[in-house]
Amino acid sequence: MLGTDRPDPFEDRLSAALRDAGDDFQADRAALVSAGRVRGRRALLRRRTAVVGGVAGVALAGVGGALVLPADDPAGHDRAGAASAGTPKSTATAAATVFTGDDLLRELKGLLPRGTYGEESARASDHQLGPAARLVYDDGAGAAAIGMGFARVEPGSAQVRELTACPDHNVTPYDDCTSDRLPDGSTLRLYQGYEYPDLRVDTKLWTADLVTADGQHVSVSEWNSPAEKDAPVSRDEPPLSTERLRELVTAGVWREVVDAIPKSPKPPRSTAPRTERPEVSGKSVGDTLAGLLPEGLGVVTRGGQESEYAYLVVDDGRGRSLLQVNVQYGMADGAGQAYAGGEILPDGTRIVTRQEPGEKAGSGVLMWTVDTLRPGPAGFRVVISAFNTGDQNKDATRDAPALTMEQLRKIALSTEWDRLR
Amino acid sequence: MRQGRADEYAEFAVARAGHLYRSACLLTAGDTHLAEDLVQETFGRLYVRWGRVSRAENPAAYAQTVLTRAFLAHQRRRSSGERATDVFPDLPGAGDGDASLRLTLLDALARLPAKDRAVVVLRYWDDRSVEQTADVLGVSSAAVRTRCSRALGRLRDLLGEDLSEYARP
Repeated sequence: MLGTDRPDPFEDRLSAALRDAGDDFQADRAALVSAGRVRGRRALLRRRTAVVGGVAGVALAGVGGALVLPADDPAGHDRAGAASAGTPKSTATAAATVFTGDDLLRELKGLLPRGTYGEESARASDHQLGPAARLVYDDGAGAAAIGMGFARVEPGSAQVRELTACPDHNVTPYDDCTSDRLPDGSTLRLYQGYEYPDLRVDTKLWTADLVTADGQHVSVSEWNSPAEKDAPVSRDEPPLSTERLRELVTAGVWREVVDAIPKSPKPPRSTAPRTERPEVSGKSVGDTLAGLLPEGLGVVTRGGQESEYAYLVVDDGRGRSLLQVNVQYGMADGAGQAYAGGEILPDGTRIVTRQEPGEKAGSGVLMWTVDTLRPGPAGFRVVISAFNTGDQNKDATRDAPALTMEQLRKIALSTEWDRLR
Repeated sequence: MRQGRADEYAEFAVARAGHLYRSACLLTAGDTHLAEDLVQETFGRLYVRWGRVSRAENPAAYAQTVLTRAFLAHQRRRSSGERATDVFPDLPGAGDGDASLRLTLLDALARLPAKDRAVVVLRYWDDRSVEQTADVLGVSSAAVRTRCSRALGRLRDLLGEDLSEYARP
């Protein structure tokens, strides 16, 4: 990989670190291959038995769900029929209209100001990966990539909030972002930011995301460059103003495109009931932490993510101290190494503590961590870390974090967290 | 499977097994047992559809896609409580790198939600573009960007800006 692919040096370093970490895992390749072959043969046997049932298309049906060829794979064109073969065709909800890729491109061009077009590509509304359209547009001031995507989302879900909320400025730098409720009940986020979070290259990325009350999601992205990455900046700003973006994304035709996405594009999985456990909301994590603080600690500021993570900066009168908490599910399987050498409480909760130097730029920064995993298959994990500074990037402002290890442990083991389960 | 095809499959599988296993180890944040299971599952699926896979433009990328989806499907099943086992895997065998630093990296990965971890592995281990990553995960590019920038922010927080200590000189 060339360093120039990723002007953010952290991304390059992460790639290198992942490669090194990955290289340390040595596989017994022959064993993996032969075990895989056995599984494949068994699956074929099961499938041949199933074919007796008589649906011709079954021959290409997947074991345990549809597996889609990469979008650029020419062999993929006929896969839609194969993928839905797990159930009789008639049960698939037929969409009223199909928008072809050409339809989408034509509609898009009809909504753009006069200009020239190139590098057009699109996926139809019944494509397994969902409809999409991309082109390079030039209004005379420089070629710029424009992309559109469409999806159906669950109204009121965390996913919708994630799509329509402006990001935390501390996490993602950007120039402008608004998120507004429209008169028809839709939410529209207009965002002006950058392709690269560290602004190393001035490729701007402006987006508009519309989510209607019915869960129709339409997104438009535009760049001031003919490609999202690895192409030089061709103009100061992307071609469509915020107002133009708003007009484009709210055009009525796009809602019809979302409605044309087949209702069940994927066959039901063999493991039938898929009741996904919702992620723990970041706000409830922050609220719970705030409620568990010892007396005498004032909360200076707080923040976090949509889900699983929150931080508080507290002050006990002797300086600021950053506290951060992660609350996650599904950590049981991956957690062996994290709790090795730790303690196991009588109820089966695993706990490990660490007192180590902070890993960010600030000097003299200490990071004290209590990491807990509740027993049971859900893999419910609560991790809390405290710092002797209010900002990990800045130098230590006090000798020790505002909470002792004993206090951190008490917070991490509190039954209050179980209310979030 | 005809002999010619079977040979071709075996050759492909042996050639890709190491990479797929390492990917799986990163996806599972060091759970080597689960990683083996996912790779076997992947090979099983490839075996079943080998005729089609072998004609794909990039069978290796296809295999990675199958692996990633098998991982996410596993996470979904597990989070819905269908799996009653409570497995604590052994420590992965120490390699020649600094094991504690690697564990810190794996621990940081383990703190990411499964889909965010998949985004990181696809983007920074497997060198996929945002678009390709979106296709593998079946989500929009915007969603990949959101997850990616969130995951990078978290990894920066957990590991520090300067990752050089995690990479071998």
